[in-house]
Amino acid sequence: MDQKNAGLNISIFFCQQIDPNQDVNRRALERELGNRIRFFPLPCSGRIDSLHLMRALESGADKVYVITCPEGACHYREGNIRARKRVAYTKGLIEEIGLEGERLELIIAPTGNPVNIDELARDLLSREATTGPSPVRGKTA
Amino acid sequence: MITAERKPISEIKEMIAPYRKILIVGCGSCVAECASGGEKEVGLLASALRMDAKASGKDIEVKEMTLDRQCVYEFIDQLTEVVDQYDVILSLGCGAGVQAVAEVFPKVHIVPALNTTFIGQTKEAGLWIENCRGCGDCKLGFFAAVCPVTRCAKGLFNGPCGGSKTDRCEVDPDVPCAWQLIVSRLEDMGRLDLLCKVHPPADWSKQQGKGPRKIYREDQRS
Repeated sequence: MDQKNAGLNISIFFCQQIDPNQDVNRRALERELGNRIRFFPLPCSGRIDSLHLMRALESGADKVYVITCPEGACHYREGNIRARKRVAYTKGLIEEIGLEGERLELIIAPTGNPVNIDELARDLLSREATTGPSPVRGKTA
Repeated sequence: MITAERKPISEIKEMIAPYRKILIVGCGSCVAECASGGEKEVGLLASALRMDAKASGKDIEVKEMTLDRQCVYEFIDQLTEVVDQYDVILSLGCGAGVQAVAEVFPKVHIVPALNTTFIGQTKEAGLWIENCRGCGDCKLGFFAAVCPVTRCAKGLFNGPCGGSKTDRCEVDPDVPCAWQLIVSRLEDMGRLDLLCKVHPPADWSKQQGKGPRKIYREDQRS
């Protein structure tokens, strides 16, 4: 079953440099899925912090994606490299409390910007759901 | 600054297991600089503990607070109004901070979330190095401001061991030879004459010889 049909809550942090029209492009998916999908545009993926990712998971996200520009294509030179390191650190932290590290995933946008964030997000949602609802969300529901 | 690292979550959970209402208290000074006990790290640990509890069906309350300094009474006093609302304080301060808070609130259980490690320097983003042992008898003036007690693996006072290779310590090739640094710096300063002085062994009685040390200054007292 894909992630959309599995009913997962998805949070997507993304570098808005990859899609200059992200503000418009993400609206259709937001209307379609409501609170089940949350987009967090960032001026650069290097702005992401472990705390953002932890708070997203704590707030009920079953899966959190961080979408960066391809390495070497960061508008601010190395923000995407920093994002990768922070995702890795946070994965370690959630694994310490028994959550699956795969609930956090770094996605590198295809080369040849710009891309459409809506298409990219739909592609992620169509992926096989390898994890179910988060136990964090489950116990609070 | 004093550096520290977070304890494993499993160890922290074991210490707070008997308690339901937990206040995590960070420190905005040294441990914030070394990214182990500042406001952000308080948030990360609080989130982790809350998620862990939810996932395992435990009913706990975890709140966050960060003091500017956890080792000074005037800042610790900010806890006075809230401390009664909690069963335990989980401190993200250094060992001195944990003990200072405990002294102010003798009936409250304070537990450490950090392992305090060394007095050091932020070498670069994400890298902290030990460069002071707090020996109580600083001789940096003789050694071009490079401490041979701390930064030489053998703690040599009177010249290099001769084992360094390409300026690196033979004990740990990742570390520059402290004596290479000392000689190079003295040479640059035109003060190689300082090397003529022979230093007796360090007087370690000034460090831990009489138990915990204290500094007392009448002029600073109220």
